[in-house]
Amino acid sequence: MRSVVTLVVLLALVTPLTAAPLTSVIPQVQPKQVKIYGAGGYRGLEAYQSGSLISATGHVLTVWSYVLDTDFITVTLHDGRKFEGKLLAADPRLDIAVLKIEAQNLPHFELAKAPLVEAGTRVLAFSNLYGVATGDEPVSVQRGVISVRSRLHARRGVYETPFKGQAYILDAMTNNPGAAGGALTDYDGRLLGILGKELRNSQNNTWLNYAIPIPEAAKTIEDIVAGKYVNVPTEDVASKPKQPLSLELLGIQLVPDVLPRTPPYIDRIMPGSPAASTGLRPDDLVLFINGRLTAACATVRTELEYIDRIDPVSVTVLRNQELIDVQLRASADANP
Amino acid sequence: MRLGLWLLISLSIDLLAILCAPAADDLEQLEQRAFTAAAARVAPSVVSIETVGGLETVNKMLVGQGATTGLIVSSDGYIISSAFNFIQKPTSILVGFADGTRAPAKIVATDRSRMLVLLKAAVEEKLVVAENAPEAELKVGQWSIALGRTFDSAQINVSVGVVSAIGRVWGKAVQTDAKISPSNYGGPLVDVRGRVVGVLVPMSPQSTAEVAGVEWYDSGIGFAVPMSQVLASFERLKSGQDLYPGILGVVLKQGDMFADLVECSGVRPNSPAYKSGFKRGDKIVAVNGREIASRAQLSREINRRYAGESLKVTVARGEQKLERELQLIDKLEPYERPFLGILPQRDRGKGEPAGVVVRYVYADSPAAKAGVQIGDRLVNVAGEAVTDRAALTSQLADVVIGEKLAVEVSRAGKSVKLELIPSREPAEVPAELPLAKAANTDKAENSPATGDVPLKIAEHATQFTVYAPATCETRRPHGVLLWLHGTERPQSENIVNVWKPLCDQYELILVVPLAGQGQWQPADAEAISKALESLQKSHPIDPARIVAHGLQSGAILAQRLAATQRELIRGVAIVQSQILAPFPENDPATPLSWLVAHSKAIDIATGLDALRKAKYTVTTQSQGEKARYFVDAERNEFLRWIDTLDRL
Repeated sequence: MRSVVTLVVLLALVTPLTAAPLTSVIPQVQPKQVKIYGAGGYRGLEAYQSGSLISATGHVLTVWSYVLDTDFITVTLHDGRKFEGKLLAADPRLDIAVLKIEAQNLPHFELAKAPLVEAGTRVLAFSNLYGVATGDEPVSVQRGVISVRSRLHARRGVYETPFKGQAYILDAMTNNPGAAGGALTDYDGRLLGILGKELRNSQNNTWLNYAIPIPEAAKTIEDIVAGKYVNVPTEDVASKPKQPLSLELLGIQLVPDVLPRTPPYIDRIMPGSPAASTGLRPDDLVLFINGRLTAACATVRTELEYIDRIDPVSVTVLRNQELIDVQLRASADANP
Repeated sequence: MRLGLWLLISLSIDLLAILCAPAADDLEQLEQRAFTAAAARVAPSVVSIETVGGLETVNKMLVGQGATTGLIVSSDGYIISSAFNFIQKPTSILVGFADGTRAPAKIVATDRSRMLVLLKAAVEEKLVVAENAPEAELKVGQWSIALGRTFDSAQINVSVGVVSAIGRVWGKAVQTDAKISPSNYGGPLVDVRGRVVGVLVPMSPQSTAEVAGVEWYDSGIGFAVPMSQVLASFERLKSGQDLYPGILGVVLKQGDMFADLVECSGVRPNSPAYKSGFKRGDKIVAVNGREIASRAQLSREINRRYAGESLKVTVARGEQKLERELQLIDKLEPYERPFLGILPQRDRGKGEPAGVVVRYVYADSPAAKAGVQIGDRLVNVAGEAVTDRAALTSQLADVVIGEKLAVEVSRAGKSVKLELIPSREPAEVPAELPLAKAANTDKAENSPATGDVPLKIAEHATQFTVYAPATCETRRPHGVLLWLHGTERPQSENIVNVWKPLCDQYELILVVPLAGQGQWQPADAEAISKALESLQKSHPIDPARIVAHGLQSGAILAQRLAATQRELIRGVAIVQSQILAPFPENDPATPLSWLVAHSKAIDIATGLDALRKAKYTVTTQSQGEKARYFVDAERNEFLRWIDTLDRL
């Protein structure tokens, strides 16, 4: 009797692990993918990308790009049927767009079931990268893991993408020509994210493979599908203040900026300035402004442009291999 | 009853076993959990590295400014990382720990063989050191997880793959198909149990440059230096000692790297091999008692060792076997070509005996001092018979400057024994030089095309105009003058008309390429190399006198060709151009001579200085204030300079 109980408990423990094998998951996901053809086809710009069906009635989730910048968008389904795609709306901040085709009873992903997953999760990427699949051919599949979930705008001006949320960084070479708009799924075929465009990581000059997590975009997508979406202005939200801070206002003079990456050593502290009262000294190396690394003199100036002159600023300097933090505020007479 | 219970228990255990033997898809999920757990286990020992200041480009490659990764190797603040992460020579280094704290760090020492850097971070609290995987357990095909801390200092980034090879890059690396890139260079490669296998670095079996192997980022070819090797050199690095790849100092005979025996075609003066008494012609048969049957095997034995390490090398000399213990060094003295002071006859008349006939003797040269005369036939050098010009050139490659050399010549049928003391090469070109006279003027069978020779290289836009003198028909060796135009693309006919008579006189084949797309591109360099190779097959080319000559941008291309096509080009002559730096070292097997025509318009002092330090022989022509092309006197000197490239 006892053993039977154990057996039942064990069964309960083991069952959640059970999932369909990849050989059956992949053929189930592929029909939910479409091939999108539009503008482009010159100067090395491909005229195609990928998309994912998110409703039985023909809503296609894809990435906003020049390919969609035409009145003639063609959407090819897994069975080779061709439809005219109508652009419902695009959200340039998320870099996504939703198309509509006139069709019924289509296989599709359930947006609401999209989970948020962590680094190390095994994933599948479905897309028509390099336009390998045509007509009724199924799209290509790649596998890998989520390398990390991280913001793409970790540093100012580093990544050229408007997406400001936490993206999935992948360890597979997914972001290739034509792949944008493809689906990232887990090993159960559940939609996790939408593959982004080709992107150069200017932090280390490598190509970056990433996907936009569905939970980051779900609200917008639902609004677009429901016809409730209102276009937002595309300006950068983190815009600079009208009256920014500057080194002069703080009373700090850096060494002459002569190299591409002149290390930001303090050359002079103006007597009677805010900096003077904090004990900053010549030869201190400025390392952080409000926690952001300042790798060169130019970076220090740029960082200060994002800070309003009425706000306090924290500065970290290196002196004799020791990190020293100070709080600073521009002098009162700087605020007329 | 009791039995019944036991039966039930055992039955349930059986069932349990069946249920726990995971199906393929369960295995996928268990593995995924294992990856995450393994990464989490090592994460506290993985640090991010940020740098301040430093260079923007290294070897023309833009250096990233983003964070890189390091691995804690001792609790008192020592961190190992990839040398690639510091190629920009930063002013200041900051290490970010898993708990979010930061500390400044300094480079303690660099391992130039395995491309690692040891840092010391100024920390007060004890750091967490990860467990290492026993090297003996490492198997090809096992899971390997690459970790970095570059996207977000609070999180590690993960890539999963398998161990694809062990003992790569001459035994210095474990290979993995996980995605290795600047995003995780310096981070650990860990096994599925969360134990460190090695430290990720870019590496290349072909090159030891600091950016070598980076071109393979994210390609499925990634390398990690095994922890056993990292720890073996830890104490030395900790003491501040930089480590370098060990050098033996032998020049190896070219051939099949994997099949041919290892024969020394030369021994570099003052190298460990030289001091041990190794000689040209010796075959290296064992290192530390391990048999060596190919150059690849020798590379594996030498390249994984550091300078300063001792080893026993066994060479075979004829029937004799010699074993010597020697200590590898980190740097060879630059090679300087020895000079006897003669120009050799380039061809041999019918029925003429072996040896090399003296065509010209330099005034005040070692040969002149020893009494060598024009027409003497060199038959023996340092006890070794001389067969022909090519053999003599390689015999003389490792002769030591300033040391006596026994030479036997045959003069009017009599043997004359002389003693020469080889000197440095003169930079000056003799003011007057009699033209080389042919020993053989008969037209050969299958004589090659002469006059304007059509030449096209498939799939390249570079256009070629080639002129071959009629004397090519004798199959006598002819030099090659590669004429590379400057910023302005000239009419090929004009160039050919000027040089034709001169090429006839000096027995040179003229090759005038025109850039495929207005300006010189890398594709042109490729086309030119192919053109030269194709000419070598069709025409009688003198390997000692192939010259790349260029003006302005053509001069830059000439230097690039000379640097990359070492086995092809023997002379580089540049006009109105900077000197490329750093230029690859001179080499006994592929020596290179320079002619630099310069005006005050371009400052080449540092470039010339670097070439002279590298012991290249550089002939200079100073053109005064304004940059221009050769005037007649300079052009004639240039032609005589080409004529002396096969000097001995």
